[in-house]
Amino acid sequence: MIKLLKKVLQVGEATLKYPFAPAEVAPGFRGKPVYNFEQCISCGACTLACPANAITLSCDLERGIRTWQLFYGRCIFCGRCEEVCPTEAITLSPEFELAAFKKEDLVCRADFRLNKCRFCDRFFTPAKELEYVLAVMVQAGLPEPEVANRRALLEVCPECRRKVEVEKMKKAVFTPLE
Amino acid sequence: MQHEVKPEQGGKKHVDALRAKFGAAILEEAWQTPDQVTLTVDLNSLPEVVEEAYYRQGGWLSSVVGNDERSLNGHFAVYYVLSIEEERDPRKNIWLTVKALVPPDKPEFPSVTPRVPAAIWYERDVRDLFGIHPVGHPDPRRLALPDDWPENFHPLRKDAMDYRYRPEPTTEEETFDFIEVEGEGLVEIPLGPLHVTSDEPGHFRLFVDGETVVDADYRLFYCHRGLEKLAENRLDYDQIHFLAERICGICGYHHSIAYTMAVENAIGLEVPPRAQYIRTILLETERLHSHILNLGLACHFIGFDTGFMQLFRVREKSMEMAEILTGARKTYGMNLIGGVRKDILKDERDRVLALMAGVRKEVDEMIDILVNTPNLFHRTQGVGILDRKVARDLSPVGPTIRGSGYRRDTRADHPYCAYDRVPWKLITQEGNDVLARTLVRASEIYEIFSILEKCLSEMPDGPILVEGFTYKPHRWAVGCVEAPRGEDIHWLMTDNNQKVYRWRPRASSYNNWPPIRYMLRGNVISNAPLIVASIDPCYSCTERVTVIDVRKKKAKTIPYQELERYCREQKDSPLKS
Repeated sequence: MIKLLKKVLQVGEATLKYPFAPAEVAPGFRGKPVYNFEQCISCGACTLACPANAITLSCDLERGIRTWQLFYGRCIFCGRCEEVCPTEAITLSPEFELAAFKKEDLVCRADFRLNKCRFCDRFFTPAKELEYVLAVMVQAGLPEPEVANRRALLEVCPECRRKVEVEKMKKAVFTPLE
Repeated sequence: MQHEVKPEQGGKKHVDALRAKFGAAILEEAWQTPDQVTLTVDLNSLPEVVEEAYYRQGGWLSSVVGNDERSLNGHFAVYYVLSIEEERDPRKNIWLTVKALVPPDKPEFPSVTPRVPAAIWYERDVRDLFGIHPVGHPDPRRLALPDDWPENFHPLRKDAMDYRYRPEPTTEEETFDFIEVEGEGLVEIPLGPLHVTSDEPGHFRLFVDGETVVDADYRLFYCHRGLEKLAENRLDYDQIHFLAERICGICGYHHSIAYTMAVENAIGLEVPPRAQYIRTILLETERLHSHILNLGLACHFIGFDTGFMQLFRVREKSMEMAEILTGARKTYGMNLIGGVRKDILKDERDRVLALMAGVRKEVDEMIDILVNTPNLFHRTQGVGILDRKVARDLSPVGPTIRGSGYRRDTRADHPYCAYDRVPWKLITQEGNDVLARTLVRASEIYEIFSILEKCLSEMPDGPILVEGFTYKPHRWAVGCVEAPRGEDIHWLMTDNNQKVYRWRPRASSYNNWPPIRYMLRGNVISNAPLIVASIDPCYSCTERVTVIDVRKKKAKTIPYQELERYCREQKDSPLKS
């Protein structure tokens, strides 16, 4: 008993002053994910990796808008989004106080403009992602005419691309030889 | 269907012995890993083969898995997973799975429970979720499905339902049929549906004669979450870790590892040594906080609250260790198939070692104070006896069985991660009582320190993750770890498109609940919370207690707090007023 009493007196008060004083977290602490719109190309890698479906993508093909959304209410702070993001557009911060009065305050949303297909004139791919892909090609040292070729190809939607290819093949097969 | 695996010599022996005895009843032999074998047997021989392996080859029942394989081979299947530990030598121990195919037009199989009582919960589980009936099973009641679930609707059949579907409740009332014990002066005490120590639901009914418990019955599974269906339908391989980690709030990382190992075993993937050391470090960090927590609770229940407060203060440091190593106090989220996500850097290692030295000193002082508290022995010695025979029949795991003198520990029996490369001692106690189980946990804390020290200082260099492998469909295997409460075992079958075909996680408490009934018998009612807490259960305390006096035919409800107070103070029995 004396031992215990000594221990108790020696330890004193162990309770932290939080929330009246800030609580320290470890350097690698995984807190609220912070989104950087400038960096994001809406590729959707994070939506595939997210185990909790906190990050989602949706498309409005009428208005030509792709919406990226992060709902903090579902987030489990695993950091898989940060790990798979090719452009470092999402990073986990040390912040852990996420309480909000309204559910809507827990949503982070971003809209991306979609490009139209050169053939069928329908929306199909985000402009920002397309530009990013082409910029990567330039960066990798692809010659200018080649980049222009690729651009012409990438500005056609997959469905039209298929049709164009079929037409080409038809021509090749049915053109009579000399 | 399975890949070529060369069996280990020690393991082959058990299969040969079974073949010699049952001959033509054994239809197929398939090795999943060098120490995991599945024997497909004739449906009618199932109970005999399992009994032979269990009682005459040193087997323990670790899991039973139902599976809807109608799209693969036109049948349902049941798998009885046994850990064969006859020679207590990790090179000779194997996982023996006995499989039988059940025809879909007559979904019945002969129950194993009359021969091997350890299967009692599992077969009820298979009946509920797959609608395959164990013929001859002694308990016709539901286990996993709630009372208001429709009849003949079995959620884990592949064609039953979408994972988001919830059928209309069929009843407003609780219809569970608790057993009835009658006799002169017997009193029935429902304990539940909520228990305060772990804040999870479970409904107990204690039958008491005066102050002595004569029998007990319980209903759990109030929070069955449908994880298996969710994983099969919506998640891919690298997402299930995070779901598995949320099976348990205390030993979640152990589940995450068990799942990962099941996948790695199924596809034959080798994990780099550094990743194995890191996994071991995180597993032991988790065990550290869990064991300190349970010691704290033990103090609380014997009325030594200062010890409880002090131990929880020390435990906070072990949580800090986890935060430094992983970036989170709980739900470490560190696993991927093939390794771990984050390395341990030198600076982190040094800080953790320094913290650990502090924890060690403080735990040492606290355990010293605890064992010198006369109340500890007075309250726990001879209480909640887990008889060795009962233990052998029901396959309990972890400190619960090690407190009854059995040397069972998955880390030693089927070494994984780095447990065969660092020295540590397997702790057992002979007392069979609450004291023995508490002392096992206390001694294990010291082993944790030595494993952690060794791993942190001797981690090999190298990669922490392998990538670029491919998954192969319809392979199955077992992943098993020793969680703080005992073995956690995950059985898994792979499928196409990054999905699992079947994932059957089994938490350690699942095997520790059935023996509780026997541990409660003959004890005084005031010790009931203490006994339940001594298996460190993964559910929570009971909020209110109803007492039914059979002689007066009168029911009376006592709040759980009252029973807990009685447990702690040992005076003013609530039964007397």
